[in-house]
Amino acid sequence: MLGVSIILGLIGVVCILDSRILGRLNMERPLFTCTLVGLALGDLPTGLLVGASLELMSLGIVNIGAAAPPDMNMAAIITCAFAILTDATMETALALAVPIAVLGQMIGVVVRTLLANLTHVADRAIEQGRFDRAWQMHIVWGTLFYSLMYFIPIFLAVYMGTDMVQSIVSVVPAWFTDGLNLGSKFLTAYGIALLLSTMLNKELTVFFVLGFFLVGYLGLNITAIAIFAVIIAVVLSGLKFRTAAGPGALAGDGLDDYDPLEDDL
Amino acid sequence: MGEKMAVKKRSDFKKYFQFFWRSWNIQASWNYERQMNMGFLYGIAPTLDELYPDESDPVQRQHKQEAYERHMAFYNCTPQTSAFTLGLAASMEEQYALDRENFNPDTINAVKTSLMGPLSGVGDSFFQGTVRIIAFGLGISLAQQGSILGPILAIILSFIPAWFVTWYGGKLGYTMGSKYLTKLQGGGLMDQLMYVCGIVGLMVVGAMVASMVGITTPIAFESTGLVLQDVVDSILPQAISLLVTLGMLALIRRKVPTGWLLVICIVGGIVVNALGILV
Repeated sequence: MLGVSIILGLIGVVCILDSRILGRLNMERPLFTCTLVGLALGDLPTGLLVGASLELMSLGIVNIGAAAPPDMNMAAIITCAFAILTDATMETALALAVPIAVLGQMIGVVVRTLLANLTHVADRAIEQGRFDRAWQMHIVWGTLFYSLMYFIPIFLAVYMGTDMVQSIVSVVPAWFTDGLNLGSKFLTAYGIALLLSTMLNKELTVFFVLGFFLVGYLGLNITAIAIFAVIIAVVLSGLKFRTAAGPGALAGDGLDDYDPLEDDL
Repeated sequence: MGEKMAVKKRSDFKKYFQFFWRSWNIQASWNYERQMNMGFLYGIAPTLDELYPDESDPVQRQHKQEAYERHMAFYNCTPQTSAFTLGLAASMEEQYALDRENFNPDTINAVKTSLMGPLSGVGDSFFQGTVRIIAFGLGISLAQQGSILGPILAIILSFIPAWFVTWYGGKLGYTMGSKYLTKLQGGGLMDQLMYVCGIVGLMVVGAMVASMVGITTPIAFESTGLVLQDVVDSILPQAISLLVTLGMLALIRRKVPTGWLLVICIVGGIVVNALGILV
């Protein structure tokens, strides 16, 4: 279990460093991390399935901005590990992992405060003319603290929690797991709605409806939708922006209420 | 000062690579006080070291110290689009070092500050709002069929635009600087890009509601043999998933706190399921 816990902790390090030093290539997302967990624990199908479900639920949660949302990325790794290592269903494992991720998020607050203090260390280093020390605060210490912020909670959760989870799972009644299953579908709807709330504006609502009906009635898959969407968008933007007289004519086109996401974290 | 420099200059490729790599890692020390300040300093440090190589010279040392202090100011931007700002700031620092009399160094931070808002807005909605949605929409549907191509495809589709924007952003910022930005904004190219992204993103999300939520009802009337789900399917398949999603959207619009919504989802799921209304 020690080795397994260390490997999962290291997957956590990959997850956090994706947005720290790789500009956020989305390797932090559940779909990718759960696949890694599945590979590491020798159960790829479960990893893929859990990853796809958790990805859907957290689609609308983006870890940008100063406000700290529940850390679904951390929860995903722990959930997937519990789902593979114990008899827990994905939904039960998720319910057990979320409290840990909330705790992990609190550690995140501490780390970001600590790094604010490192800023002062860097300020003083510059005053003393120790220039290299100033940027080392960023690339060495920043990277290290963020890595630990994910490694430690995941390691502890898997190392100490797996047996406990196993004993809890054996007494959970069926109505509870069925209910959690529906709850996870609600969470998926919530995740998509959260996404919609940042994207939707009056002018473009019709395209959301179009995407829904193309799948609902015609049963097309997402790849087909994406391809048609690009074609429609290119054609329409060609029409729209060619007829516009100039930059001034763009003012009233409804993009003004486009709500860009918050700042980065 | 330029002619005194004995230290060898970086090649252009190395310069661009540093803009690229140091923009990607700009969040390594993200903190509550000045956010990406140290990240930006790390990004511009090679340029400053190159401009003021001789620390034994008190004047150069003084200039270097001022420059380092300047770039410890508050900064926050999408990493990929931030490369443009980094390239631009680097070229401005070089101009300033050449012509200290006629160049006000405050403009460097003023430009940084004025760029981070629009570049974050465009960057976040493009990378997190559009690229991610399309990449992961495709990825999820493949993963649900048990294919490892799902996550791989999602990462490749995320990587290509991120690499492209960061690499050429840094290069453009450094070589063309402020001229290019005015061109981009003035020509309506940004608006066009946002319009296309908006349409594609929303159609994919609409498709996800129909294919991935999957809420159904078990309600059936034994006396008449009527199965409610069959009726729903014959009128509009996945209508319940759509209604639940729009309901959630209404709650979000009413600013119901996230914590409450998560509780509503879990507890609501258990209760509604126990009552036999939805599955």
